[in-house]
Amino acid sequence: MDAFLQDLIHYSPQILAGLKNTLLLMAVMSIAGLAGGIGVFYLTLGKNRLLRWGTERYISFFIGTPLLVHLFLMYYGLPQLGIRLSAFAVAVIGFTLNVSAYNARYLMTAYNGLDKTQIEAARAQGFRFGQTFRLIILPQTLRLSVPSLTNQVIQNLKDTSVAFLIQYPDFFAQMQEIASTNFQFLKTYVAAGLVYLALVSVIVAAARRLERKTALPGLETLDHA
Amino acid sequence: MALIEVQDLVKRFDGKEVLKGVNVLLSEGQSKVVMGASGCGKSTLLKCLNLLVAPTSGRIIFKGEDITRPGVDIHRLRQDIGFVFQHFALYTHLTVEENITLGLRKIRKMKTAAAREKAAFELERVGMFEHRKKYPAHLSGGQKQRAAIVRALAMDPAVLFLDEPTSALDPQMSREVVTVINKLYLDNITMFCVTHDPFLAKYISDSIVFMHEGVIVAEDIAERLFYEHDDPRIRQFYLSVIDHR
Ligand SMILES: Nc1ncnc2c1ncn2[C@@H]1O[C@H](COP(=O)(O)OP(=O)(O)OP(=O)(O)O)[C@@H](O)[C@H]1O
Ligand SMILES: [Mg+2]
Repeated sequence: MDAFLQDLIHYSPQILAGLKNTLLLMAVMSIAGLAGGIGVFYLTLGKNRLLRWGTERYISFFIGTPLLVHLFLMYYGLPQLGIRLSAFAVAVIGFTLNVSAYNARYLMTAYNGLDKTQIEAARAQGFRFGQTFRLIILPQTLRLSVPSLTNQVIQNLKDTSVAFLIQYPDFFAQMQEIASTNFQFLKTYVAAGLVYLALVSVIVAAARRLERKTALPGLETLDHA
Repeated sequence: MALIEVQDLVKRFDGKEVLKGVNVLLSEGQSKVVMGASGCGKSTLLKCLNLLVAPTSGRIIFKGEDITRPGVDIHRLRQDIGFVFQHFALYTHLTVEENITLGLRKIRKMKTAAAREKAAFELERVGMFEHRKKYPAHLSGGQKQRAAIVRALAMDPAVLFLDEPTSALDPQMSREVVTVINKLYLDNITMFCVTHDPFLAKYISDSIVFMHEGVIVAEDIAERLFYEHDDPRIRQFYLSVIDHR
């Protein structure tokens, strides 16, 4: 058997553990990022001007500065203030803050495209704002944002690969370690790339299904455009 | 008995006075139409009455209670007033049936089955039962407006407000909707309707209120207001909307 394949088999427990960490981080930040995005989006619709300004600044800050800076700041910077967080905690917090900002922005964009007379109708019917948000605004903005939100999940998967820079033992960290012991850089990184590609394909397939199933009535045709 | 009594209602939008002291009365079982040139404040008046727009001054007595006073439960007030919009304003992600049952379930706290039954009954009355599983995007304008009327009526409001319910419709669909509103009129549903359409106005009103630049300048039954009033503003308005048809 090819020596490289033998290496892969030999290191498979380590690779699988890395893969597990990668998927875990992706899942946690995707779910927390969706919840956070919805929360931030909700705040941007509020009456309180200061709060709206604050959330807008938050979104701009996280979209406008590199993710790695946030991770390094928390992992290497905070200990100087006596705050020491695990690599996983830093990754989850850093990524979630980041992903929430992006998701909130997608939802806001979808909201701008909504027919606002429905919201006035809901108000006129006597719905409270929270109900209008939950029953009218959110279902529609979420469904309109499925393509962007699922793209973000793909982005999340790929972004986990920088977590090794704060010592998080993700899949890519394991592959790097293997490459540095067997010096098969080319083959190892091609293999790593293929694994990411396979995972992304799974997400894309699921995303397409979700898009078809959740398309808003009247907008289904956009699917084929 | 007066259901709604409006006294000296004033509304200013950043300094611009849109309602300049409106006085109007709507009794239970009565149907009133509001007419007047574009921009004279008709929609603003309707929206002040259910506090979608906050009045600047004046009093609005609804069921004997001054709703302009602080501490009024605006949600409860609005739940008692059905509102039909020019552009239907149906919830696009919900079927016709769901559009109607949403308020029944979430506001009236009805069980889903009971809400569906109520929706079916009301849809039947306007000939929309067969369309209950369709989404708004798959309906004609007339069907959308009938669905919107049912959504408002199913809540059993004390009064139905309609803001130009036929202006977004072509003549045929408009007739469809006029027929439905006329039925409500004959059923003595309390209504307050803004329209530019003298045909609709005539067939659904006990009396017509004519507004000009934020004040009510005349109130009379359709025949007298349209044909006998000598206020030039009313003549001019009437001729313009007649030409339009
Ligand atoms: N939210 C608002 N802010 C500022 N000005 C407003 C607002 N709503 C209405 N106006 C102004 O108030 C005036 C009356 O508006 P309104 O919509 O009540 O008129 P209308 O009689 O319903 O007209 P139309 O027949 O065109 O519907 C208009 O000049 C409009 O520009
Ligand atoms: Mg208007």
